[in-house]
Amino acid sequence: MTSPNLYVHRRTSGPRAAAAWDRRQVLMNNLRTVLGRAFPRLIGLTREPSWLLFEVGLPFLTTSAFVLVYRALQAPPEYIGFVVVGGAMTAFWLNVIWMMAAQLYWEKDQGNLELYFTAPMDMMAVLFGMAVGGMLASCLRAAVVLIVGSVVYGVHFSVDQWLPLLAVFFLTLVALYGLGMMLASLFVLWGREAFHMTQLLQEPMYFVSGLNFPVGQLGFLGALAIALLPLAVGLDAMRQLAFAGGTVVFATPSPGIEMAILVVMAVVFLVLARFCLRTMERLARHEGRLTARWR
Amino acid sequence: MGRRPPPGVLVSDVPHPTDAISDHAIEARAVTRVYKARPAPVTALAGIDLEVAPGEFFGLLGPNGAGKTTLIKIFTTLLLPTTGTARVFGFDVAIQTKQIRRIMNMVAGGEQSGYGVLTVREQLWMFSQFYGLGTREGWSRVDELIEAVGLGEQRLQRISSLSTGERQKMNLARGLLNDPWILFLDEPTLGLDVSAARVVRHLVSEWRAAVPGRTVLLTTHYMAEADELCERIAIVDHGRILAIGSPAELKRMVQRESIFRLELDRLDGGPAALAGLPGVVHASPAGGGDAGAAVDRQTVAVNLVLTDDAALGGVVGALGSLGAHIVALAKSEPSLEDVFVELVGRGFDDAPAEAAR
Amino acid sequence: MAGAEVRGPVATAVGRGDGFDRGRAERGGAAATWRAFATSARLGWQMEANWTDPLLFFIYSVAKPLASALILVLMVQIVSGGGTGAASARAFVVIGSALWSFVLAGVQGIAWSVLDDRERYRMLKYLYVSPSDFLVVLVGRGVARVGVGGMGALITLAAGVIFLGVPFDAAHADWGLGLLIMVGGLAAVVALGILMAAVCLQTRQESWSYPEAVAGALFLLVGAVFPLSVLPLPVQGVSLLLPLTWWMAGFRQAVFPATTSSIGGDGSLFQALTGTATPGTATIVLALLATTALVTLVTAVLFRFSERRAKDRGLIDRTTGS
Repeated sequence: MTSPNLYVHRRTSGPRAAAAWDRRQVLMNNLRTVLGRAFPRLIGLTREPSWLLFEVGLPFLTTSAFVLVYRALQAPPEYIGFVVVGGAMTAFWLNVIWMMAAQLYWEKDQGNLELYFTAPMDMMAVLFGMAVGGMLASCLRAAVVLIVGSVVYGVHFSVDQWLPLLAVFFLTLVALYGLGMMLASLFVLWGREAFHMTQLLQEPMYFVSGLNFPVGQLGFLGALAIALLPLAVGLDAMRQLAFAGGTVVFATPSPGIEMAILVVMAVVFLVLARFCLRTMERLARHEGRLTARWR
Repeated sequence: MGRRPPPGVLVSDVPHPTDAISDHAIEARAVTRVYKARPAPVTALAGIDLEVAPGEFFGLLGPNGAGKTTLIKIFTTLLLPTTGTARVFGFDVAIQTKQIRRIMNMVAGGEQSGYGVLTVREQLWMFSQFYGLGTREGWSRVDELIEAVGLGEQRLQRISSLSTGERQKMNLARGLLNDPWILFLDEPTLGLDVSAARVVRHLVSEWRAAVPGRTVLLTTHYMAEADELCERIAIVDHGRILAIGSPAELKRMVQRESIFRLELDRLDGGPAALAGLPGVVHASPAGGGDAGAAVDRQTVAVNLVLTDDAALGGVVGALGSLGAHIVALAKSEPSLEDVFVELVGRGFDDAPAEAAR
Repeated sequence: MAGAEVRGPVATAVGRGDGFDRGRAERGGAAATWRAFATSARLGWQMEANWTDPLLFFIYSVAKPLASALILVLMVQIVSGGGTGAASARAFVVIGSALWSFVLAGVQGIAWSVLDDRERYRMLKYLYVSPSDFLVVLVGRGVARVGVGGMGALITLAAGVIFLGVPFDAAHADWGLGLLIMVGGLAAVVALGILMAAVCLQTRQESWSYPEAVAGALFLLVGAVFPLSVLPLPVQGVSLLLPLTWWMAGFRQAVFPATTSSIGGDGSLFQALTGTATPGTATIVLALLATTALVTLVTAVLFRFSERRAKDRGLIDRTTGS
């Protein structure tokens, strides 16, 4: 029925040599893992086209609701722009919390988590692959909100410095995804309870991050948010750069300082993510939480 | 539990300073595993000592809740032992997880893992990337294995529409992607029909036979499967190993003699004529009835208990001198369940329900 | 001569006294329907109420609804400052945000119940083959979910009245009207939730986000946090066909009569069509009942269609890995 030669793919003479990977092998394994894990997300986009309506089209309507609140209040036009930028960044935040942080809970539920943990790659590569896979849908959603918001609601961006704006956007994403990886480690350990905690990361997070208003209006709470939450500081910096020269007083640090905060956040979150993932994996192995409870 | 690394750090990429080249593929010393549970902690493993040689096909046989899956999860680095040490090819399961994961793979029965939107081919390719194969190498290896496991017609089918047997073949193909030095099979034929289960067993046997040195650890509660596949078996119950040996050795524990059923065309003097022969422990009519009388029967059936197989030669010789001809000869062997009953005092099905982990 | 025999295995079995009770296979009537409804409502309450788990109660009934309201309150505060106009706008958004807890619980919650049962608990097929009507079971779960949403709504309203200056005079509230409006509105919420459940029975991957997305679209249309007059006239027309629009306006009018109407006002389609600035009580009640009846009828038809299609395609017992 089969040729025995089909099965033979040995590069080394013994198991201990086979287990001794050099740095290049480790790096390539992790890079390929990123691609491999992004693959199902990308394939899913082409095979289930309804996401275009439900993930892109309809959420734009939610952003529109907040725009119309400001219109009803006859707010200055910059505030419409704030809501549009906030709505665009919501796409990435939801990608972080649902497609990365909470995803390990779903993976455990479906029995994939133990297959990941018995494979040689780094879990951070898996999580990054999830993020990359979801990035396309998030970018499209953000773009739709920005473009259609600008066209339909007449938002005028006045960008003086494009490079810092792009840098802030990129740093915000890095910090967000680092935070997401940290949160993912909690899901390995907590299970269903962490799903509920993710719910706490929606509306309450929107409030303290100033998703629809300048976060400086929150006073001390806003200052705390800028120090601790990448969404808050990234949004504020992007608004300052995208609506430069406007009449709105942000009452927050300058974009340069906020960019520095983002750099620190990105580094800290990524380092902490690595530490937390390893610690949590060890704790989960100790308590037997890597597999679904009823198996 | 072995040497502990500093908190939050897994010493996985640096060779262990006290590593010795191990002669064993698997080595467990006084492994226990206790789960915190309410109202009382559950002891899943109560002190396991085990050695599996490289290239061996080793089985863990026991009823549900015996601790087989817990033990295999320790070896596959999904679970830490509470006390004791376990090593796979000399690598400590507690702190050298990366090394172990590079040379092993695992297939469990009843796996429903995967992403429904992907086809069989895509799903396997994704895992090939996780296991360290190159991009193109992954595709070609996947295509080879799909043909090897007999999923050629389903290669472009979404995995959400596979039958149970097809899914398990796909899982097995995934398990073979990285050509592991040791393959862990956790009840791989669970829930499969007879035909699908045979295919899976045949594939595993073939794979192992293709290259010397491939080690397989199989957990199962199907005795016939363990009997067919395994070179050595450990019988497990309530977290302890009750006996280890080859299937033949285990069966000899409960039956030290050789038992045969003879059908003869005639036997003057009946079974008693054989009872005094060297090596014959006991001879009796098979199925009861008059002692050896060929009354309205074409053949005479005799149950013969011998000290060992070698005594059969003497019996055959004696039959010749009695003018009897052998019509049929069958050896009767105990089953592994007989072994279990002998060891524990109850059958597999009588085992009390335990929380399975 | 014997009379004509009644043929058939059932009659024969009964006649022979084999013990088969045909009556069990017949529908149990209103009592069985009520039992199915009450059981599923109790099950839904036990699963979702979180009243025994302080953390979950805090997350779902306090933090999320309050945060949603506070976002809007702050938006009002930033733009309008502390004047009386701001107080009226603040009350408007707090009430709308509080009532939205019902909508989220009902519309999203019922659809998620179906998805949970299908994907996570793998119980959908067992529920379906039980003697209870699946639609009745869903209605029961929906009522429980709406009850859970009510806790969040009450807490938000209470916080609004106590801390955020929402004007409330119990003596001047029309409680009878309020009760009628709530019954009609919540019936519409449950109907919309079942409509979403019917859609989710058909969808495969990524179904979890669909109810949330639809709720988001409704948020734009029903005058929850801004008056309809802000919307383009054609869009206002769609809004006036939705029962949730009349429910929101009716509740404000009944319980918080000092707040602005979401339906009328300058530039509103209602004013253009009727010539009156704001709808009267009778108009609101009639419109709510009519639109609720329409939505309920559409839901019933579409749900049965979805059920039939799901059975035809084997979707009820299939997990999609979503």
